[in-house]
Amino acid sequence: MNFKRQLKEGVITNNPILVQQLGMCATMAITTTLFNGVGMGLSVLIILTCCNVVVSAIRKIIPGEIRLAIFVVVIAGFVTIVDLLLQAFIPALSDALGVFIPLIVVNCIIIGRAEAFCQKSSVGASFVDGITQGLGYTCVLVVMCVVRELLGSGRFGGGLIDIARGFRFTLDGTGAGIQLFPEDYGASILNLPVGGFLTLGFLFGAMQFALRRSAKKKELAEKAAAEKAAQADAEKEEVVC
Amino acid sequence: MKKILKLTFVLFLICAVIAGVLGVINELTYRRIEEIKEQKTIAAYNAVLPAYDYKQVEFDRAAFPTVESVNEASNGAGYVVVSTFSGAQGRITMAVGVDHDLRCTGISIIDHSETSGLGANAASASEVGVKFRAQFVGEDESIALAKSGGRIDALAGATITSRAVTRATATSIGVVKSLA
Amino acid sequence: MLTNIISIALGAILINNFIFSQFLGICPFLGCSSKVDTATGMGIAVVFVMGLASAICWVVDNYLLVPLGLEFLETLAFILVIASLVQFVEMFLKKSVPSLYAALGIYLPLITTNCAVLGVVLLNVQNTYNFLESVVYGITGGLGFMLAIVLFASVRERIRFAEYPECFEGFPICLVSAGLLALAFMGFSGMQIF
Repeated sequence: MNFKRQLKEGVITNNPILVQQLGMCATMAITTTLFNGVGMGLSVLIILTCCNVVVSAIRKIIPGEIRLAIFVVVIAGFVTIVDLLLQAFIPALSDALGVFIPLIVVNCIIIGRAEAFCQKSSVGASFVDGITQGLGYTCVLVVMCVVRELLGSGRFGGGLIDIARGFRFTLDGTGAGIQLFPEDYGASILNLPVGGFLTLGFLFGAMQFALRRSAKKKELAEKAAAEKAAQADAEKEEVVC
Repeated sequence: MKKILKLTFVLFLICAVIAGVLGVINELTYRRIEEIKEQKTIAAYNAVLPAYDYKQVEFDRAAFPTVESVNEASNGAGYVVVSTFSGAQGRITMAVGVDHDLRCTGISIIDHSETSGLGANAASASEVGVKFRAQFVGEDESIALAKSGGRIDALAGATITSRAVTRATATSIGVVKSLA
Repeated sequence: MLTNIISIALGAILINNFIFSQFLGICPFLGCSSKVDTATGMGIAVVFVMGLASAICWVVDNYLLVPLGLEFLETLAFILVIASLVQFVEMFLKKSVPSLYAALGIYLPLITTNCAVLGVVLLNVQNTYNFLESVVYGITGGLGFMLAIVLFASVRERIRFAEYPECFEGFPICLVSAGLLALAFMGFSGMQIF
């Protein structure tokens, strides 16, 4: 239950979207404003954490053959709870995300973590895992929203931030955001479905580039260390001889 | 056989527990959700024909298949007609205010899935949207796009959305006329 | 009545394609589209499951959940119906078309987590479609999915011989190509048959 290591894994090296390649439907569909992105990210984080804890708590008493069905039922329960609470208390988010809130049930990330991690880990580790994977998911959503909104409409923080009377967060989706350049100069293609595909594709590309570069660096460092060790051995042998 | 029964029973038990929890949460939030839905409807009606309360009235559903409801304003100012019709990218739900002279008092788009930046401007609060919707005030049943000889200027790059909205306004005025 | 059905069908296949417009069903779309044959098989399975799921879930919703005031159990009920349905389809395929069963492999049980199946059922409820409209939407939604996945598979078979930056290998270049396909499908918007 090493928090720092799990955090690094969740956000970078084992990022649910960019590395595990799960849960992409919602990522492209709703990332048009920051309000949607943060809302969806936090909803998934809460549902993921709750499900992880419950699945980990009951892992020893559920029969193995029907465990997937039980996971799905537990996830559906939590998704409905979050759905009802959002409809009642943040209706703007419920309207904006639409059918994608109940679709969190089939979000592969949650089922994937339940199957791959929570079945064999303690409640504490599962709780931390839920939070870190959820944070990784939210980070990717936020990056996508910021890029799409900024380049598409010249705006930052649409629906969430309002600077009309001092900086504040609007939880009812009415914040106009900070207009960095006039909307007419934005590439509005990024607000369309095409933009979702393109932005996520480029994000994947950037992530692969970064991961490969760090892998290559590690390889070179290991090779250099191996060479040094081999040289040291050779020198030792010479001395012996 | 016994094993399958046992597995089914365990699954059923877990479902029942979860359904029970959901039932409790539903009880707590049910009323509030209904309130919010009602407020949204009244706000949409208020945007086209201000009044404190609206009462649904009967109309000929067979003759007007796209009209969902006709609501009479309590202060006698006229009617708010809610209709759902095809736009460019899907269905549009719109509220149209019609006064007793059979003239439009305003339109308000309640739900749509039009292209953002093009057809979606019909519903947006931006200058383009406000100007587009303002054209409908005062129009009667003969309303049409400028391209077809009328007075409504279509939205740039959104002729289909504009035509659909214009046609729906004419239908709404028509259904109020049929009530007389 | 007929015009309504045709407009739903056209909408689901071309104008509001489940993949290129509504983003439902992306995971199998990207995972199962490396060869045209697998893609076609997956598409047919999804059409079948979507149509059947639409029918059964409509009945469950209108004759069980709504009369008892249990709408909040919709998500739970629908996912259970879909999971059982996919299980039955799997058993049926194993016995009658074992080659297709072997070709689809792990992707068959994954139809349960296909956003398109649960999505179409939820959209049927949201749009308050009657039984015929729901089934038509389910089947044509599946056909739209199949069209998208087969088109994309044929594109992907060519990508293998294309030149692109090294860091775009795999998913990134697929997503960019899918984006261009989505752009092409935008040309269908505003299509009206009358």
